[in-house]
Order: sequence, then structure tokens, then C-alpha cells
Amino acid sequence: MTLLAVQDLHVEFATRGLDNRLRVAQALNGVSFTVAAGEVVGLVGETGAGKSLTALAAMGLLRPPARIPHGSIRFEGREIIGLSDRELEKIRGRRMAMIVQSPLTSLDPLKRIGDQLVRMQRVHDTAHGAAARTKAEAMLAAVRIPDPARRMRAWPHELSGGMAQRVLIAMALVNDPALIIADEPTTGLDVTVQAQVLDTLRDIVAARNLGALVITHDLGVVAHYCQRVAVMFAGRIVEDGPVREVFSRPSHPYTRALIDSTPGRIAQLGWTVTGGTPPDLYDLPQGCLYRDRCPRAATACLAAPPRIAVSGTHGAACHFAGEAA
Amino acid sequence: MSFTHVLGVARRSPTFAVGFGAILVFALLAAFADLIAPLPPTQSFPYETLRPPGSGQFLLGSDGNGMDVFSRTIHGARYAFGIALPAGAIMAVIGIPLGLIAGWRGGWVDEVLLRILDVLRAFPTIILALAIVAATGQGFLNVILVVGFLDSPIFARIVRAEVLALRNATFVRAAVAAGNPEWRVLLVHILPNAILGATAQLPLRMAWAVRISATLAFIGIGVQAPAPEWGAMIRQGAEYVISGEWWVALFPGLALIAMVLGLNLAGDGLSDLLDPKRRATGK
Amino acid sequence: MTAVLAIQNLVHRFPGGVQAVNDVSFAIAPGETLGLVGESGSGKSTIGLLATRLLAPTQGRILFEGQDITRLSAATLRPLRARLQVVFQDPWGALNPRMTIGRLLEEPLRLHGGNLAEARLLAERVRLPLATLGRYPHELSGGQLQRVSIARAIANRPKLIVLDEPTSSLDLSVRAGILQLLEELQRETGVAMLFISHDLETVRLVSHRVAVLYLGRIVETGPAAALFETPGHPYTQTLLSAHLPPDPFVALRRHRVQGEIPSPINLPPGCFFAGRCPLALPACNAGPPAMQPLAPGQEAACLRIADRTNRLEPAEDPA
Repeated sequence: MTLLAVQDLHVEFATRGLDNRLRVAQALNGVSFTVAAGEVVGLVGETGAGKSLTALAAMGLLRPPARIPHGSIRFEGREIIGLSDRELEKIRGRRMAMIVQSPLTSLDPLKRIGDQLVRMQRVHDTAHGAAARTKAEAMLAAVRIPDPARRMRAWPHELSGGMAQRVLIAMALVNDPALIIADEPTTGLDVTVQAQVLDTLRDIVAARNLGALVITHDLGVVAHYCQRVAVMFAGRIVEDGPVREVFSRPSHPYTRALIDSTPGRIAQLGWTVTGGTPPDLYDLPQGCLYRDRCPRAATACLAAPPRIAVSGTHGAACHFAGEAA
Repeated sequence: MSFTHVLGVARRSPTFAVGFGAILVFALLAAFADLIAPLPPTQSFPYETLRPPGSGQFLLGSDGNGMDVFSRTIHGARYAFGIALPAGAIMAVIGIPLGLIAGWRGGWVDEVLLRILDVLRAFPTIILALAIVAATGQGFLNVILVVGFLDSPIFARIVRAEVLALRNATFVRAAVAAGNPEWRVLLVHILPNAILGATAQLPLRMAWAVRISATLAFIGIGVQAPAPEWGAMIRQGAEYVISGEWWVALFPGLALIAMVLGLNLAGDGLSDLLDPKRRATGK
Repeated sequence: MTAVLAIQNLVHRFPGGVQAVNDVSFAIAPGETLGLVGESGSGKSTIGLLATRLLAPTQGRILFEGQDITRLSAATLRPLRARLQVVFQDPWGALNPRMTIGRLLEEPLRLHGGNLAEARLLAERVRLPLATLGRYPHELSGGQLQRVSIARAIANRPKLIVLDEPTSSLDLSVRAGILQLLEELQRETGVAMLFISHDLETVRLVSHRVAVLYLGRIVETGPAAALFETPGHPYTQTLLSAHLPPDPFVALRRHRVQGEIPSPINLPPGCFFAGRCPLALPACNAGPPAMQPLAPGQEAACLRIADRTNRLEPAEDPA
């Protein structure tokens, strides 16, 4: 069952420069993907590719000067774009929950962990009083926090980074949402802690048949915790498909460059990748946005590439995606 | 910081535009006071005292000495700048090195600075100023020196706070690692970055200087009537307010408010202006 | 051949009792890259600051090209800094925002009596477009800024560059370009490098030898290939097994070591890892374990190595 369906999403920012002229940054340029129940979808890309913006849009959290000139975001069959804040608040934290990168700043420093979990349920009217406390404690146990009864009384500052991230996952899950959006959930955590947190997240998503959208720049997270992946570049999804398919047969030159930039591949293949600057979002060229950096750019690339199916659900927005790499 | 850049910031920040505009107007008034003012500021018309605004040659009326309120208010801008600029310069000259050393080295300079600040905070500034002026003697120069000195520690603290924030900045560390001698770290790397936030505070401190000098004049210390100083004029006019001759005090009062407000607004806008990240360059 | 840098029994305590560095010793030979890996609180960045004497150690000795620089004054150190350089993690914060790139590149030349005209050559050497010389740091990308920092570091032909997480805040494709540049520079000039990072893959790629830090102590050191292939210390094994290789076809072999790194205040007398280690023996808490040889050039501070019972059993593949 499809939980989230983003279709041809465009987002732009209008700002005024010092010369008072209006400048429009085209931050998202036609993003389409879906997240179904029971699957973890990874959204990868580099700084400025539009990953976090996509997440914010899906949560209905975009605020001016960002605007959506075009596109559709359907959650559980219902169009999100254009909903009032009141209607969105009924969905956010209830049916759809977000886990952000900096756990310690996302927790209220003046409230005990247990009280925050209880409040989360009271706000959404899912449980109250003793029932809410029981549920809160059960959630802490579910995210593998040792001694949950005692942790209920803990203050946020008493938690380590890994524990705080677990509490945040518990907060996101306490109202039994259908979809979880995790924006760089383990960036900034230590390697050993990152693995523990990701294991927890994956196990819960599987056990409860949730859908999850994991936004990350870390190909390792995608490779081992996601079933499907969408690769973003300059506000577009350039390639998407099952993780193993995409990794074994990357069909967009940018995906190949990303994979070949990992140290392990450099050790095997040598220095093959020349990085470059992403295109100017204020002045996007016509056609393929990766053209300037692409080793196989041709005249055809002056026209915007369509998504070409490589196999099954694997596709890439490249004129040459059909050819064998 | 080009003129077009100032214009750009002014366009984006209306508060800065208003403040900057007000100061510009006062600066022009001060510079061309002799041309703009219809009468000499201290010329007395003994038979035409306390005329209401609009009577005869007195656009904004005349005061108790038969002097033109309009001309005097315009000339008052000279006194305002006469106090604001040198007092600001004194604050900068004393405050910047002091703040720089206190913030970078800490130690006794820092201790002394902080203790002076404690004393200043504990003591009502106006009474302190009053005591010093009373001790050193009246006169415009003394007022400038007192106001400048009194505010220097506060300005030094502003600089000190900036330096403290920069002391552990990576680029300062990188400057030491590159082999910069200490003086160069301070003058080339810390100062230009610390001065940024501090300079934005300078108009605010100048506004304080204008206000405090007017206050001193008002209580009869500092600049004395018939010199066309706003505080002195307000003091002079205050006694007539009850008897209905409101214009003598009102117009210098409005000028004082406009100038102080202008400096404050400009100070707020200046932090925008001095931010290098917003400096228009390249394309 | 004398080591470019020799660190001997280095200890650093911060005010407040945090013991960041705990009896650390290592040496770096000319032309060699030593990778220093560790998680937060491992003291790796503090070691970088101590090695470049941007910080003075509490105890121990620092020898640069055979000269004891442990207690040298800032003024005496200054001429040495031409040959002892550092590149920091945050490219956006490491350059004076009010200086142009051109002036930033000239500065190290000016400080050590170089020819200012060489600034352009430096820019070309690190493949920085010459058009950037008139710009300010905020107008450049992170990768370009890191190239500026590297150019500044190599301006006076250093013998050692300490690189503190030089690529951690850069995107993957930009990162590769910087690593390639560093490798070229080392090949051309024979400069030694201390490469500090939490990124295991990158360390493996660039280092000849690797030292693994845990709570300010080196728990294992050895040639990069050997250490990554057959890690000896249980902590090294844990660390490597937690790493997520960017390849879905490489199975994870996870050791279920639980818990997180304890705070570096009031450290226990014995092995710091003993509290989390599934193989810990009572003797592990008695005192700091000595280094035990594992293979040529590889040694680890673990009692279990003596009778080769140091292998952690991998948990089931969680994928």
C-alpha cells in the first residue's frame, strides 16, 4: 500500500538581493517518488540537492519564502499541499512523524522524558493518564533504552547522544504513525552508536509494517538499511530503484560518480572522479543539469532527459541510461 | 562598503534608511547652519521676546531673550555632532585597544576593566558625570572628555566580548599555526573581525553621548545658555511651558529626540551593513 | 632516519578534570601518513593541537625533527611553524572572513620570508581557479576553501602536516578530490602527515599506518592493511564491525558490544574498554594493559592477545 506519493514536486525560493531585484532559486525541479508500507526508502544526495527540502515539503512544513508552484504530495491518498495548518497538525506527529538530526535540541530541556512522551499522546488525543504512561514506557523499551521505568524520569541533558536519538524515535512512534521521515538520523553520532540506533529503527519499521523515508548523504546507511533508493541532484531525482539494483548497475553518471567517490572504490579503481560545483539554482540551465560535470555529455543532453527504465522499478533520468555501463 | 551598498541596505532595511536619513539631514543642517538659519543663533531682539511660531521673522517663535528658536535649533545640531563625534572617537581610541587586550590576554587588564564597569553600573552615570564636570570645571571640552571617558569602558566591553568569541575561532587558531606573531594575530586577524560588531554599537553610544550632554546642559552643567545647545535650550524653555510658551522647549526637544532616534536606528542597521556576507560582490 | 614527529608519553588534562590524552606515544617517519582514528572523546583532535603545539601538554614530550618542542615559547616556535603545518576540519571557519583568498595565500609566504608571487603558483598547485584570488572566503565552496587551507599549509614546504578531519564536512565527490590532492602532494614532496579522522574508510585509503584511540589511549597500532584486515583489540574489532561499507553486497558482521563511550572524567585504573568488553577478565581492571605484539608492526593493548583469545564472535548478520 502506498503511503506517500510525491509527484512532480517543484519548490522555489524568492529572495530579494541588495539591488532589490527578485531572485528565484529553483530548489526542487520535479521530484517524484513513493513510499509504501513496510519499506525503507533512502533519499541520497549531496549538500543543496534538496533532500531535506523534500522532507519538509512532505511534512507540510514549508514556509515562505519557499513556495510550491507545481506538484502533488499525497499522504494516505490525501493531498497535503494546500491543507491548513490545523489539518496538517492532525497528521504530523500522529500519522506521519519526523526524526531530525540534532536530538538534543529537539527535546524540551525543561520536561522529563516521560512527560514529553505523555504530552505527545495527549496533544493528539491518542491516550491519556496511566494508559499514556504505560505506552510511553513501552515505547522506550521498544527503542531498546535500558531500564525504561527509570528513564521516564530522566531529563534530556542526562541522556547521551545515542540515547537522545532513541528517545526521539520513541517520540515519533508513540502515536503509532504509518510513516516515518528521518532526516540524517545518525549524522553526528559515533560509528558504534550509529549502528545501534539504525538497527533499532529498522527493526521497529519491520515489526510494525511502517513506511520510512531516510534522508542521508551516507551510502553505507542506504546500502544496509534501505530497500529502495532515490538519488537526488540539483533538485531532481536522477536515479531510483531497488538498492541492490542501483548499486550493482548504477545507470546515471552521477550515481556512478557518487559510488566511485567512496574510499573503498578509490582504492580499487584509483582516482576517477572529478568533483564539481552543482548548478546555480538561481540560473538553471536547460536540459540535463548534470551535463557540465558529466563525462559522457552529448548534444542530446541539451534536452531534459526523461526517466528511462533500466529494469523493473529501476530507472534513471539520463539519455544513455538504457545502454550498458 | 560602497555607496550603492549603503543604498541597497537602506532599501532592504527601512529602519536603517530612516535613521541614516535623519543623521544625514542633521549633518547637512550642522554643516550649512549659517546658510540655512535665517538669523544668527545668539542675536537677541529685546523687544520681541517669546513670540509664538510664525510671527514675523520667527518661524518657530522666539525665546525669552528674543532669539530665534528655529535658528537656534538648527545651530544646535553643531553641538550635537560636536559632542557625538569626538566622544565617539575617544570611546574608540580608548575602548578598542583596551577591549582587544582584555579579551585576548585576560589577566589584570581584564580584571581592571570589569571592575571599572562594575563601578559604573553601580553608580548613576549622570551623578558621576555631574561630579566630574563639577570638579574639572564647566565648558564644552570638559563635557566631551567626560562623556567620552565615561563610556569608554562600556565600549571596551563590547570589543572584549567580540574578541572573546573570536579567540577560539578556527581561523585565529589557523593564524597562530601559520606562524603569525601575536601582534599580527591581534591586529590583522582579530581586530578587523571584532571591530565589525563593535562599530555597529558606536552610533548607539554616540546617541547616549548626545543625550547625556543634553541632560548635563539641562541641569545647568556643561554648555551654558545662550549657547544654542539643545539641552540648554530645553532648560531655558522649561520655565515658559507652564505659562503657555511651549515652543521654546518643544522644538529643540523634538530635534534631540530625532537625532538620538536616528543614531539608534542607524546603529541597528549598521550591523547589517557591515556584514561581509551581505556585501555585494562578484555577480 | 629520525622521525619527523615523535610523541612520547603524552598526557593532557583539561581544567575540570577531563583527561583527554592518556600516555600516548607514536612516531611518524618522513613521507609517511599515520592515521589516527577514534570516536568522540578519544582525544584525537587534542593530540593534533598538541602535536602542532597550539596547546601545551600536561606531561610528556613532543619532538619535531629531533628537536624537543614540548616547552618552547610561542616566539621560538614561530620559525618552526613553516615546516609544521595543520589543516582543520571546518573549511568555512578556518579562513579569516575579511581577507581575500589572494591575501590568505600570501600570508604564510610573508610570515616566513617567501616570495609573495608564489601565491599564484600555490593556487595552481591545489587547482584553485585564479579568479578566486580576489574573492572572499564566503564566496567559495567548501571544497575550494579546503584547497586554500591546504595551499597555505604547503606554502613553506612543510615536513609534517596535521590534518584534523580535513574532509569530514565535505560532500563525497568533493572529498575524493581533496584526498587525491593530498596524495599527490605527499608523493611530490615527501611530506609526512598525521591524518586524524573518525571515518574508517578514508583513513584506510590514505594511511600507511593507523593508530586507534579509545578515551585518549592508543589501544592498537599497525600497518593500515593489517589493522583493517585482522584487528586485534576488541575495541578495534567493534569499531570496524560497526562500520557500514557503502556496498549492499558486503555482509555486515556485527559484534553486539553494547553501551556507549563513558565520560572521560574519573577513568578506571585498568583497560578503559573493559566495562563494555565481552572478553574482559578480572585482570583487565588491575592496571593499564601493555602493548602486545600481534603481527610485524602491529600491536594492541589487550591481555587477551597473549594467548590469542582476543577474537570477538560476530553476532548473526542483522541484514
